[in-house]
Amino acid sequence: MKILINIALQSLLSRKITVSLTIISLTISIVLFLSIDTLRLGAKKSFFGNVKSGDLILGARSGEIQLLLYSLFQIGSPTNNISWESYQQISKMPEIDWIIPISLGDSHKQFRVMGTTQNYFERFSYRKDQKLQFKSGTYFKNTFDVVIGSDVAKILNYKLEDNIIIAHGIASQSLHDEFPFKIKGILKKTGTSTDKLVLVSLEALEAIHKDWKTGSKLPSKIKSKKKEIEDLDLTPKELTAAVIKLKSPITIFKIQREINDYQEESLQAIIPGIVLTKLWQIVSITENIMLSISSMVIVSSIIGMIAILYSNLNIRRKEMALLRIVGASPKNIFTLIMFEAFLISFFSIIFAIVLVQIASFIFFPILDRQFGIFLEQKLWNARNLYFLNLVLISSLLVSIFPSIQAFRKSINDGI
Amino acid sequence: MNNVIEISDLLFEWKNKKQFSLKIKELKIQNKKKIIIFGRSGSGKSTLLNLISGILSPTSGILSVKNIEINQLSQKKKDQFRANNIGVIFQQFNILDYLSPLQNILLPCFFTQFKKHDKEYFYNRTFDLAEKLNIKKNILYQNNSKNLSVGQKQRIAILRAIINKPYLILADEATSALDENNKNDFINLLMNLCNEEKVTLLMASHDTSLKKNFDMSINLEKILL
Ligand SMILES: Nc1ncnc2c1ncn2[C@@H]1O[C@H](COP(=O)(O)OP(=O)(O)OP(=O)(O)O)[C@@H](O)[C@H]1O
Ligand SMILES: [Mg+2]
Repeated sequence: MKILINIALQSLLSRKITVSLTIISLTISIVLFLSIDTLRLGAKKSFFGNVKSGDLILGARSGEIQLLLYSLFQIGSPTNNISWESYQQISKMPEIDWIIPISLGDSHKQFRVMGTTQNYFERFSYRKDQKLQFKSGTYFKNTFDVVIGSDVAKILNYKLEDNIIIAHGIASQSLHDEFPFKIKGILKKTGTSTDKLVLVSLEALEAIHKDWKTGSKLPSKIKSKKKEIEDLDLTPKELTAAVIKLKSPITIFKIQREINDYQEESLQAIIPGIVLTKLWQIVSITENIMLSISSMVIVSSIIGMIAILYSNLNIRRKEMALLRIVGASPKNIFTLIMFEAFLISFFSIIFAIVLVQIASFIFFPILDRQFGIFLEQKLWNARNLYFLNLVLISSLLVSIFPSIQAFRKSINDGI
Repeated sequence: MNNVIEISDLLFEWKNKKQFSLKIKELKIQNKKKIIIFGRSGSGKSTLLNLISGILSPTSGILSVKNIEINQLSQKKKDQFRANNIGVIFQQFNILDYLSPLQNILLPCFFTQFKKHDKEYFYNRTFDLAEKLNIKKNILYQNNSKNLSVGQKQRIAILRAIINKPYLILADEATSALDENNKNDFINLLMNLCNEEKVTLLMASHDTSLKKNFDMSINLEKILL
């Protein structure tokens, strides 16, 4: 056996060019497949990771995908708000366990400002029931306290007790500069859209908009000082959406219906999991196409490897005959060709693993920053290992054909 | 047991080529004799040697080497038997280019009884024989065998054929690729080694001038039925 390994290795080394080209093509196709698959799963995870917390999302009547996108991912903007009164009414329903109000609209630099309550920090959970955690500081106690997500802190280089100014609207020049906020808490990285949020209290949002009407700053009658503002009634007038958790999931459809039939205002409630799945189905078509293309690439490079093994059989006829003469059995010849195929696919897999690992160090942070796709660094999950095994086994299975050919030839061939 | 090879009523046909058949009524090769086989190209010299080495199996009839009917052995035993008892030298392609000359010589040992305690013995045997064949030690240890001359390659082939102390050496046109000087050197070295090692030699060739070096010559066409 040792001699066969030795012969296989040396023989492969002596055919450096064809062998390395075969390995390169197989490696590239494996890398392609792994990256696409990892991306796909990562995107899916980041996608669905945001919906762990609630059973229903309450919002003004509009497209359900739209509501989902702005309430959970802070993508796009709401067309209508819901009134504070309706929110109050609904939150009193006995079936409701807890409710997190969400108010969107303003921004800070490239990040969105979201008004909410303490509930958000206590109740919001993502992926496998992970809770938000503070890297430093704590949630807001005073009106002009602010909590920032980990990406906000990292990219803008903010520390606790830094002052920040909030801009009115998204990508706007007009600033709420008379109300500087103080950073009181920085959240740990979650890999969800929360990382890119600037979180303030609902009261704060109400306060800074006191002397605003329909989008522009009125020449302020009251020279709004913080102190004065804090004495006013800061109960919010409107909300963007709310995440609802029910005491029992059995009541989901009942509550959904009640909200959809709500008389005083046209409201809607969506079940985030269902809407997300709809959305994902649209997105995943491209994913599936890419996945099947990359599997075909793998198949074609395995076929390429077999083709090379085959065409070498004729060239190497003398080599096989010589091995037979010095005592190698036809079985040994079979093993030899199989072993070569094994080495080729084994090394391709090893190289692919190394490449993907290196690529992950380089590209994961970029993906996270640019596209909000948070990929876990632990790549070698059961799924990927299973896939690599599959590549190895299928290339071995296909190599049986040239190996049998070599076996036959070595029996029937004279010198 | 005087005969190394005994053949009677032998018939061989290629599976895919019916127009050629090799039929021999009787052929006996005596122990320690050196025999040369002549015959036209295509008359079946190589085929006969392949039958004797057990690479090919006769269609019918009896062919025994050292009183063992190799065709009756299992595939594995057959391969072992060949590696242990028969050395083969070809006209060309005697050497795996990607192995070192030393590894090439020791190949038959790797496929047979190469046990730990034998290792030293076979290495020493290689060095002794190499010296007799005028092959320097540094040549044996080259990384690969690509750069050997034709003459060197043929001498390495002799070493490989004889390393396992076979009873029988089969040489198929082993001199055809060599020039006159190399050919004479080769034949002399081979003859001396066969004498020293008491090996039977069976060589197929076109070259009738070699006849004088052998104990006996056989014209294959004459013994074919
Ligand atoms: N692998 C093979 N399959 C089918 N027929 C073969 C094979 N090898 C040889 N033959 C045929 O067997 C016959 C004998 O060939 P062989 O090689 O034994 O002749 P030879 O006497 O050695 O000739 P040469 O002197 O040219 O080497 C030829 O007709 C040849 O075409
Ligand atoms: Mg021949």
